[in-house]
Parts: sequence; C-alpha cells; structure tokens
Amino acid sequence: MKCKVCSKEAVENGYCELHAKAYEIVAKKYERWRKALEISWKEYLSEIVKNPLTGEWAKEVAEYLIKSGEWENGKES
Amino acid sequence: MRSRDLKMENYTLIITEKPDAAQRIASALDLQGKAMRREEKGVPYFVAKRDKDIIVVPAIGHLYTVAEERRGRSYYPVFSFKWVPRHVAERGAKQIRTWLEAISKLASNADTFIDACDYDIEGSIIGYCILKYACGNKENISKRMKYSTLTREELQKSFAELLPHLDFALIEAGRTRHEVDWLYGVNLTRALTIAAKNWSGKYATISTGRVQGPTLRFLVAREKAIRCFVPTPYWSIKAEVDIDGAVFEADSEKQIIEIKKEANAVVEACKGKDGKIEKIEVKKFQQMPPTPFDLGALQSEAYSLFGYTPLRTLNIAQRLYLDALISYPRTSSQKLPPAINYEEILRNLNKAPEYRKLTAELLAEKELKPNEGKKEDPAHPAIYPTGNLPERVLDESERRIWDLVVRRFMAVFGEPALRQSVKACININDFRFYLRGRQTLKEGWLHFYEPYVRAEEVVLPPITEGQSVKIRKIVLEDKFTKPPPRYNPGSLLKKMEEAEIGTKATRAGIIQTLYDRKYVRDERIVVTDLGFEVTELLKRHCPTVVSIKLTRDLEEKMNKIQLNSEKRENVLLSVVEILKPVVEELKIQEKVIGEQLSNAIKRAKLEERVIGTCPICNTGKLMTLYSRKTGKRFIGCTNYFKNACKTAFPLPQRGTVKPLGKNCRGCGWPIVQVRMKGRRPWTLCFNPQCPLKEERKRQNEMQSM
Repeated sequence: MKCKVCSKEAVENGYCELHAKAYEIVAKKYERWRKALEISWKEYLSEIVKNPLTGEWAKEVAEYLIKSGEWENGKES
Repeated sequence: MRSRDLKMENYTLIITEKPDAAQRIASALDLQGKAMRREEKGVPYFVAKRDKDIIVVPAIGHLYTVAEERRGRSYYPVFSFKWVPRHVAERGAKQIRTWLEAISKLASNADTFIDACDYDIEGSIIGYCILKYACGNKENISKRMKYSTLTREELQKSFAELLPHLDFALIEAGRTRHEVDWLYGVNLTRALTIAAKNWSGKYATISTGRVQGPTLRFLVAREKAIRCFVPTPYWSIKAEVDIDGAVFEADSEKQIIEIKKEANAVVEACKGKDGKIEKIEVKKFQQMPPTPFDLGALQSEAYSLFGYTPLRTLNIAQRLYLDALISYPRTSSQKLPPAINYEEILRNLNKAPEYRKLTAELLAEKELKPNEGKKEDPAHPAIYPTGNLPERVLDESERRIWDLVVRRFMAVFGEPALRQSVKACININDFRFYLRGRQTLKEGWLHFYEPYVRAEEVVLPPITEGQSVKIRKIVLEDKFTKPPPRYNPGSLLKKMEEAEIGTKATRAGIIQTLYDRKYVRDERIVVTDLGFEVTELLKRHCPTVVSIKLTRDLEEKMNKIQLNSEKRENVLLSVVEILKPVVEELKIQEKVIGEQLSNAIKRAKLEERVIGTCPICNTGKLMTLYSRKTGKRFIGCTNYFKNACKTAFPLPQRGTVKPLGKNCRGCGWPIVQVRMKGRRPWTLCFNPQCPLKEERKRQNEMQSM
C-alpha cells in the first residue's frame, strides 16, 4: 500500500514512516491549539497549513486531512 | 639549477609535508639565511649550507595510501590491503611517481634523515611512509623535528634539539585510522554503489564512511524534526514605560502565556493604568576573557563572523601557518605555554600600527597570564600569532583570519570585563513587568577583541523604588514556537566535536564531502532526498555503521593506540568483525537497496533541475525541460506538458544552468546562474518585465547617448 500523502510504502495508518511521524505530531499538537484558541480540528488544520513555521511534511499531512475530510479519532470520520 | 650540477654526498635529508615548509626550514637552517632552490625532475628541493650540508625535500601531502591487494573496483567485501604509492591507487595522481623518484634519488646519497613533517597524525604518517618506502627503510634511524611555528627561531631550536626517533605511537595510531577509514569507506561505498548500478545500469558514487554516516545522521534527525514541526501559539505582553520622557520596554512576569483569553485579560486589566516601581535589583558580574583558539573554535568564530566554511578557514589558517604568521592550526589545545614567549610576540606585533596601542597596554602589565581552556593537545599549543608581520599582501580573507587570531591572542591576556545588570519590577494593576538594563562598567578584554564582540548596552535612567511611572502602551504579541534551527557548517562542526566523532583535521573535509555527494545543500543545511535515502537504508540494514556510540568507541580505541594502551591489530580485527555481517546483509538486500537508491538518485537529479515555484500558475514548478521536437532545453513549468500552464522561457543552449535557490531582488522570480566556458558566470532572471532589466536597459541607453 502506498502512503496517503506520497508515493512511498505505507507502514502505519496508511502513511509512510515519515508522514506517520508528522501525523502523530499534527494530532498531538491539536490539544494545545484548542486550549489556546478554542478552535475546531478543521480550523486548526487550516491554521497550520497557513503557518510558515509548519514543517513540510506536517503541512502535507494537514492538507491531506483537509482534502480527504478525515477527522481525528473521537470526532467525525 | 638541476641536481646533476650538484655533486653532493653525505648530507642530511630533511623531509617536509609541503614545499612552503621546506623553503622556510631550509632558509632557517642555512647559515646565510638563504637556501638554494633546486629541482630534480621538476620536484623542488632546497639546499642549506652549514657545517654539514642539508637538503630539504618536500612532499605534497600524502604520497602513499591504503589500497586493496587484489585490483578491481567492482567487488566487495575487501578486507586485505596494503600501503601503495598514490599513483598506483588513484587516477590523476601521476605526478606522485615523479615526486617519489626524486625523493628516492636524493635519499640515496644522504647519510642522516630527519622527519620534519607537521607533528600530528597526518604529518607523522606522511614522513613515516616516505622514510620507509621511498628512502628505503630509514624510518628507524630517522630523527624528528618538532615545532609549532615556522619562525626562524623555533625552527633553529627544533633542529638543535632533535627528537632521537619518530613518534611510533602516533604513526601507529595514524596508520590504523587510515586503514579503518579505508575499510569502512571501500566496503560500504562499494556495496551501495554496486547495488544502485546493478539496478539502474547507471554509475553514480554513493559514498559513506565511518564518520560521514553518523554525521549525515545528525542532519537527517534535525531535518525530520524541522519537516514534522507544528508550531504552538503563545502570547507575550510588553509594557512601554515612560521614564523622564524616554521610553523603555518591560516584559510581563509571565513571558509565555499559552491561552489567548488569559493574555487578553492581562492587557485589558493593565490598559490606561500607571505603574509603580516595586523593587530594583542591581547585580555586578564578571565576564571572563575568551580562551585561546583551538581549530574548532577558530572555525566556529570565523563562520559566525565572516561566514567562512570550516574548510575555508582551515585552508586560510594553513596558508598563514606556512607564511609563519600563526602557529600550527590543526590543534585541539586551548593552552598557551609561557615557552612561546608572550612578551616577545606582543613586542613584535607592536610594530604593526593597528596593534601598537593595544599591545603597548598589555606590555605595560606586570604579569601576562592567559585565560586558558581545559582542552589539551600533546603535540601543539593553541593557535597564536607568531609575532611576524606579513611579508606579502594578504588577501582579505587571510587578513581577517590573521587579525582574528591576533586580537583573540591579546584578548586572552585581558582582565575580566565588569558588567552590571539592573532589573526593575514594575507593578501595573497587580501585574508585574520587568524592566531590564545592562551596561559595561569596565571593558577589560572586550577592548582587545572589540570588533568581534559587542556587549549589549541598555542604560536605564536613574530610578528609585516606589517611583511612579507612566505606561504609554500595553502591547500583546502573537507568537509561535519555532522549529529547531538548521545546522550550518559551523554548528555541525561543533556538534561533531561534542559527539567526539572525526578529528580536528578531518571534520571540515567530511562536511564538504556531504555537499559534494549531494546529500545536503545550502548554507543552512538541508538534507536532500538522496541524503535521506542513504541514511534510512543504512539505519535499516546496518544500524551499526551509523551508530554514533560505535563511532565514538572506535575513535576512543584509536586514541588509545596513540597512548600505547591499545594495539592496531586488535582495532582492525574489531572493525572487520563489525563490517563483515553488515556487508553480508547489504549483499543479501542488494536488489531492494539498489532500487531505493536508484529512485533516490533519479529524484535528486530532478530536484537539481527545479528552479522554484512557477510565478504564473503558482502550482507548478519551474524547471529545466527539453523540447520533444528539437531536443533544446528551456525553462518551463511542470504543468507545461499537462497543458495546464504555458509558462516557458528560453535558456542558453551551452554551459550549465544552476538554480540559485534565491529569488530576484527586483521582481521576486526564481533566478539561475549560467556558467559557460571562457565567460564569467552570470545570474539570469526570466521575467521579461523585471524592473532591474528595465533599469539596466535605461542605463545602457543613457550611456550610449
């Protein structure tokens, strides 16, 4: 199976090793953003995509999540 | 004059590492101070006349190297090796043959031998190999010159106090290091290169090595952290405080506020309120002088001040050393022993107008005591100026490094600087803000190192506890946490030093190799796809070779050889034990590895052609493309063949086109550098409407009017 974001082999949750790590961080950081700004998961993803400090892989994962409509566990899926 | 004109016998033959050093040594030892330059088959050597004649012949760095016993480059593993002249093992090293023949001829009539190569691992190996192989087993009867500067006085002293024999422990350590590095390099590089070639049919060197692999691993780890980084928002609050008409910024007690609501509440509560100075803390502290330069510190300082890569700094320092302006630069010492004669050096530097005043101040001191660091080097002291003044015009980079070494040398003798910090706590509606001031009370060493150090000065006006102050504004700042910084050649060198991998002589070269192999790019180092792939492959299939711990352990063992507490044979055996299973695994996985590497090489080549984002469609990338009809190259958008974007610009058909990774300062479009034989490289902006082009056109028209 290919990674949801790039053409590499998927190893975890449909992501390659590198994007899996990025996904993990994107998902983990949401809690901090939610507390700080009281924003939804989708708003959070849009914010990090816009932010120039966000790393390339994290941005790719966030873009994929917005496009695919995939939501974090416990929320809509 | 050719050597056949000279009928000399029973002379002393001195071997040096480089021609410049040979000339300096010969001139220092000649009674008239003027050695004669001669040539043997185009190889220069120098004759010094004294009670017994001396011939000083230079090498040109390493003349011998490690090579496999069985010839051929397309097989691995390789565990048997021998030392051979470089021209036997390396293409393009033909001149080495002539050089060795010349040395052998000069050695045949000599009766005394002296090794005067640099007193370190590399120098010792160079001298040893020449004495053993080119001079016919003279390594055991040879004496050794030891010096740290190429000044006449030190060279004469070193010649008068010759060491009775070569430093065999140092040589053994050097031999082992070369052999270990060769075993790592040849086996791993061949495994990767052959795997890629067998898969794609195309040859590309994919190198890795004992130190190169772990160094690339540091960079990959940092790159991953940067690319996976998600910033976190936070807020900080500043108060603009008016004290006697002057405005100062005070930071809120809580420097990081993680919730926006909380931050807003503080701002609202403080708005329009005055403040009261609750407490003033004044602290005086000493700032100690810097320690003398070891090579790593000089390289780091030169990078941060002038942007010179570690390799460039090393090369400049080497030239200054060969000009007898500074001491031997490949040192890890932070010590300056009194034997170098501080006063004499300062007195000589005093002759240079730019150092007259500063050196006079130091010479007026009762005692000169350097602020030394902890690091030691058994062979050389820290880097210091010899006191000699330049005999030729130094180029800008040489002058800068020399000046840096001179001023650092003076600074280490300076007194500690005395600084004062003031911290005033201001209460604004029960929220605390801190106003901070800093000033220098006594310059001390800062005065000697002035152009290279700037102490931050924030001088506060007189304030008292209980004083009311007007608050002009409360400012809420939106902030985000930042990703870890990228390594640059200077900080990477420091990291290698801290991790104790590589040596002071090899680190800069290893960093350069990473660039040459296209594993990394840019000054703020970015790992390429190829760099990632090589590291990931090694980590997956042979984690031991990129293990930082293992590399450090091996480094330790090799250092022990130098102290006679470890044996070369044991170290080599343990290396073979590490490498054998690794190479076997690489061979089993050759197909998988070959495919991954070949794809990475393809991607890297594609990446090289990308110039930047297309400024017209903003989705495609501008890259060098080739016309299907004519085969001619042009710059086009990657959406060109999809018919989604027709952006295309012509390119010169000859020469090379290199993306600069920068945008035009006139229009912001990506730019390239074009290099053509016989012409100076030039920068090309594709935008036909670029304001800079218009401006240039106008200027040309004006000139032609």
